[in-house]
Amino acid sequence: MRIRIVSPALALLVPLGAPAQQPALTPHDSALHALNRVAYGPRPGEVARVAAQGVMSWIDRQLAPERIDDRRLAQWEHQRPILDYDRGDLAAIYVAAQRARRERKRAADTMADTLADDPAVQRGRRLAAQFQELAVVRAALTERQLYEVMVDFWTNHFNVYLAKGADRFLTPDYIEHTIRPRAMGKFEDLLIATAQSPAMLFYLDNWQSVAPGASPPFPRSAMRRGGQAVRRAPTGINENYARELLELHTLGVDGGYTQQDVIAVARIFTGWSIRRPQQGGGFEFHDWAHDRGEKQVLGVRFPAGHGEDEGIRLLKLLANHPATMHHVSVELCQRFVKDDPPDGCVDDAVAAWRQSNGGIRAVLGAIFHGPDFWSPGNVGAKVKTPLEFLVSAMRVVSAEPDTSPRLARTVARLGQPLYLHVAPDGYPEREAAWVNSGALLDRMNVAVALAAGRLPGLTVALDSVAPAGDIEHLIGAVNDRILGGTMSENTKQVLGRQLSSIDDPVQARALAVGLAVGGPEFQRQ
Amino acid sequence: MSISRRVLIKSGGIALVSLGLDPLFLARAAFASYRPLPPITGQSRRILVCLFQRGAVDGLNMIVPHADPIYYRERPRIAVPERDVVDLDGYFGLHPRLAALKPLWDEKSLAVIHAVGSPDSSRSHFDAQDYMESGTPGVKVTPDGWLNRYCQHDREHQDTPFRAVAFGPQLPRILAGSAPALAIDDLQAFGLRGPQPAARDRLTRAFEDLYAGAATGLLSTSSREAFEAVQTLKRVDPAQYRPADGVDYPRGRLGKAMLEIAQLIKADVGLQVAFADVTGWDTHVNQGAGEGQLAARLDELGQSLAAFTRDLGARMRDVVVLTMSEFGRTVRENGNAGTDHGHATAMLVLGGSVNGGRVLGKWPGLDPAQRFEGRDVAVTTDFRDLFAELLARHLGAGDLGGIFPGFTTDAARFPGAIRG
Repeated sequence: MRIRIVSPALALLVPLGAPAQQPALTPHDSALHALNRVAYGPRPGEVARVAAQGVMSWIDRQLAPERIDDRRLAQWEHQRPILDYDRGDLAAIYVAAQRARRERKRAADTMADTLADDPAVQRGRRLAAQFQELAVVRAALTERQLYEVMVDFWTNHFNVYLAKGADRFLTPDYIEHTIRPRAMGKFEDLLIATAQSPAMLFYLDNWQSVAPGASPPFPRSAMRRGGQAVRRAPTGINENYARELLELHTLGVDGGYTQQDVIAVARIFTGWSIRRPQQGGGFEFHDWAHDRGEKQVLGVRFPAGHGEDEGIRLLKLLANHPATMHHVSVELCQRFVKDDPPDGCVDDAVAAWRQSNGGIRAVLGAIFHGPDFWSPGNVGAKVKTPLEFLVSAMRVVSAEPDTSPRLARTVARLGQPLYLHVAPDGYPEREAAWVNSGALLDRMNVAVALAAGRLPGLTVALDSVAPAGDIEHLIGAVNDRILGGTMSENTKQVLGRQLSSIDDPVQARALAVGLAVGGPEFQRQ
Repeated sequence: MSISRRVLIKSGGIALVSLGLDPLFLARAAFASYRPLPPITGQSRRILVCLFQRGAVDGLNMIVPHADPIYYRERPRIAVPERDVVDLDGYFGLHPRLAALKPLWDEKSLAVIHAVGSPDSSRSHFDAQDYMESGTPGVKVTPDGWLNRYCQHDREHQDTPFRAVAFGPQLPRILAGSAPALAIDDLQAFGLRGPQPAARDRLTRAFEDLYAGAATGLLSTSSREAFEAVQTLKRVDPAQYRPADGVDYPRGRLGKAMLEIAQLIKADVGLQVAFADVTGWDTHVNQGAGEGQLAARLDELGQSLAAFTRDLGARMRDVVVLTMSEFGRTVRENGNAGTDHGHATAMLVLGGSVNGGRVLGKWPGLDPAQRFEGRDVAVTTDFRDLFAELLARHLGAGDLGGIFPGFTTDAARFPGAIRG
């Protein structure tokens, strides 16, 4: 029998008949754990604040982000030009950059190193960097932490590759207007929105998927894809989106679909396309391209003669399919609880999914209220991804992002260039994907640079973190403010040894912070 | 130079299995159990160096079918003039800027595989590169690369953190996976950074102590690998490296990568698989013929490969360099004096065990009836057959099953790139 633990305070009561448990989490440790998983890590003093407020109360607030005042981030966003561009603007900039590149090549006969100097090309690159930067800064500055965590989760679940042709200018809009508004709504709405997004239609080639033999009612002018003129009409059905929809977005690879289902799904989505892609147009259903025959998917009949509506019908079917509930719940439990998600957690999530018809908040609530989330064995049991490492490091030292988009480059150096995951499965969650010797050395270097105020894109003032001066005091402050009290005896000794050989207290403090942020305890969440 | 190996046994490793611990962790942990090995002497391991020409290199201007009039008919502006081609076998010849490779052809350590490519018809750079690196054409969700799967499969050589190294800022797809692999952007800068060597060393020791005491699981094994790599590299002392007499690597990223690969090979740190990539092959506009954009790239490639072989000298006996590219380019030039995305391309293999002095594969010809979709050179050798041959015959991989999922390797289909 499992005792459902509703709040960590109740967990202090030993359940009758349960086997001997490890001691339950203290309010302090509960708060730290919640901040590490539900948020991108604590800011100085935040663990105590959340503990005092009550961690479940804090979590419930995070589950309703629209009620959280996010003024500071709003002010920062106000100054970011990338947010003022829509798809059309970005498309125009991108096309100008391509044209400039071609002109240079036509004129030159060697690899134009001067390409980088061209203002059109530079502008395109700057915007891409700003767009990536936005993700890092939002995660670091926002009060709506869980919301940004979920945006990151869905960005990977519904992965799109920024560098593929038109996705260069379709992706920013995809994140802003498809993912972000629906990150904590209903899964079904999010699924349908991604299916109709130009970014996804382009990335997985569905925009070119047409029924065999279909041809457009008017002559096609040259279509530009990725800047190259492609003078071919689409040749038939493209199964790419159909396959990834079933395998990655909904049912999962073991979800019980067949190759016949993939083909039928592809037929259903013929005609789901983009209006004037080279100008950043939106979703457009091309009736002439649609296969109007009868289909069968997962045993469900889709009668002949239907159009765009059968795609919507299919998406709703998939969104509410038990295999989908299970697949996505597994991913959520992986993200929030453990790389190998506990079955109980997944069951709780699926139950909440059923009950709420795929309400993301309800599913998250079930996970955060469940015993697996609070099990001491699962605390500190995950390793941060590069993005989580950098953002949590920024938060823990109260770093201020400056106006240059350099943080994106740091995340890329650490192995996670944002929006640049090539394959549709998105960035992985398991530690085996991220923990390797080179990556650890990179993290140590970033930590040391950050603490010394030498990480590009940030200003750091360590006074708010720890006082420069007495070594004992410094180590204690680092343990409390940076490691949330998890500093091991070994780490204390190593720090003590290292710091005693440094005269300058400011330098000593930078070293202590750098070692703590680059050390093993801080890699865990 | 010999290095001693620490023996690290993961105690209780068997017990952990019964607790149902993550098998992936165990797989990685197993890699950390360095066995005691005799120091490496002249009996060195075979090494495979993979060079990815990103952007789809024009195989036809790289290895020119100069005896075929169709080549000249279809490329009025960009065909390499026959008098400039460095003839190889009377039919094919080298682009003049690859002339540095001619001696290697003559001494039979260079072979060409033409009309090689993917069974998948995608002409998308990113899809096709993905397929060539994952080794699974048509399948996008393969989590690891074929070189990493080889490393997983052959545990015997996993006794050093330098077993598989990519020379660049990030680990490429081809080396992604559960087997340990290092991405080294700059040999001299690898490791902790510090204002001077003393500060750097102190920092390294500090972190090493931190991780030794408090890390568990994968953090523990990876950090140990990291510090072992840093230690080893310190002894190798990359800042002091000088190539062999008279060897001049060309300036630029490729030259530097090849120099570092040569250096690591000579340092005997157990390097077995190396990777580097070189961009700039996507010549849609103003490609040039004997001179021009492509020529400049080929010049850099030829000089780098030649310098590399000269620098290694007798050690080339154990090394094979393979060039690859995601697809080729159209037979006919386009309206911008360039070429568009094609299908088959040419790959080079270079080294001691190579069956050199020949153009391998089955040449389909350039006649429109023989082209792929009427426009590109047709693929007659699946790239997986070439890669499999190198793994099997050069690196000595036993059973290749699982390295190319969905593909049954068959020695009968090997193009014959490796002798013996």
